[in-house]
Amino acid sequence: MASKPQRLHQIAGTNFQSSAKRVRTMATSTAIEPAMKDAFTRYAEYLNDLNDKRERVVKASRDVTMNSKKVIFQVHRMSKSNKVEVLEKAEKDLAAVTDQYVSRLVKELQGTDFWKLRRAYSPGIQEYVEAATFCCFCKNGTLLKLDEINKTLLPLSDPSLHPLQINVLDYLLGLADLTGELMRLAIGRISDGELEFAEKICRFVRDIYRELTLVVPHMDDSSDMKTKMDVMLQSVIKIENACFSVHVRGSEYIPLLGSNDPSSFLVGVPDIEL
Amino acid sequence: MAVPPSSLEKQFDAFRVQLEQSGKLRDQIRSVVSEIESSTRLIYATLLLVHQSRPTPELLEKAKSQVNVLKEQYKQLAEVLGGSPGQYHRYHGDWRSETQTVVSMLTFMHWLETGSLLEHKEAEEKLGLNSDFGLDVEDYLIGVCFMSNELPRYVVNQVTAGDYDCPRKVLKFLTDLHAAFRMLNLRNDFLRKKFDGMKYDLRKVEEVYYDVKIRGLTPNGEPVHDLETKES
Repeated sequence: MASKPQRLHQIAGTNFQSSAKRVRTMATSTAIEPAMKDAFTRYAEYLNDLNDKRERVVKASRDVTMNSKKVIFQVHRMSKSNKVEVLEKAEKDLAAVTDQYVSRLVKELQGTDFWKLRRAYSPGIQEYVEAATFCCFCKNGTLLKLDEINKTLLPLSDPSLHPLQINVLDYLLGLADLTGELMRLAIGRISDGELEFAEKICRFVRDIYRELTLVVPHMDDSSDMKTKMDVMLQSVIKIENACFSVHVRGSEYIPLLGSNDPSSFLVGVPDIEL
Repeated sequence: MAVPPSSLEKQFDAFRVQLEQSGKLRDQIRSVVSEIESSTRLIYATLLLVHQSRPTPELLEKAKSQVNVLKEQYKQLAEVLGGSPGQYHRYHGDWRSETQTVVSMLTFMHWLETGSLLEHKEAEEKLGLNSDFGLDVEDYLIGVCFMSNELPRYVVNQVTAGDYDCPRKVLKFLTDLHAAFRMLNLRNDFLRKKFDGMKYDLRKVEEVYYDVKIRGLTPNGEPVHDLETKES
């Protein structure tokens, strides 16, 4: 009785069965009504197309994430002496990410509603925003604006097709992650003796945090962003503490600054967790 | 070099304005959606009377007049969104579940009236929606699943009221519907979950059909396979 319909495609000839089985036969042997079948064929097609597209977008987005991460690591490789080369390479890598991976994402999304598939590509775009703003800050000391990023996306496809433009939400989510990277960078710079650069990072991160506190309550789905804000505040505090330590005890470390062992610099600074 | 604070501030000010606007739009959407919700509740209350064996045509007449109100409200919703083209899916979540319930009402009414399934296009027409502001296919399908949840109760009460042919009709319809749903490749999402629940409706209706049949309560005492051959 409780069996699921298993024999959908049985033909009508099975009707002459013992009466005990008839109930079950009834439930399983009839062919789907043609009108309903036609309609569901269309729904199936729609769902298949949508899922395939979503799958492709997710894949493209994952590639963007992966390669953007590599750019971020490249930026972290900089030190006092090699800054120019390291950043040049990072910029080149970033341009490659844009040309190869972001452009593929843009092409996949062409002609679809960006908001519909946003969940599928949002992680990649956030990481890309993070990488692009990170590069820009290290090079120019300024915040790369959303308009500027979006401008670089325009040539990725025929403008008449309305290529992907990053929305404010993904940009802000990417910025929130940027502060984590900046915190790591600041700590690294301090241990490399670049106090001034660290202080500049500190000011920058504070500015972003302050601006974001005003914007976040208005965001569409701010729960995700609220956790990021907490993490961001922790990053700000870590940078401030590091700057404080150097400021207060800086004189004790001056001899070390000249030494070739920058990693020893932070020994004795217990407040800093990396 | 210090970050020029003005340019940074300028961007964030612009964001704030932009996000505040979308917040306002969302409030507008929500107020229309809550009206849609209360209209739907009226329809639901009307349709609940089918379980008390009230004459169906009368109920349908009443429910249909309420559907016209719904149609008007969807028009309002489309107008609210008209100012932000291409943003349908940004706010879609705000009317999603309400629309699924609306679909379940419409498909149930249509089934009571005709015994067949209201198609996606037809549901769209009934709500006055078009390709600019359409009915999401997934919302439609989820609504259909909700409708299926209503059928076991309907069958039980119809039989109690003496309509012994009802289980056969419902079983045929639900079997078809379940088979049709199996044509879809679903993801592990809400729709999949709702579809998985449909088999319990089917089982319940099968049980009622069986109970009625084994006691010889078939209408006019006709043998079942005759009925079936007529169907197919």
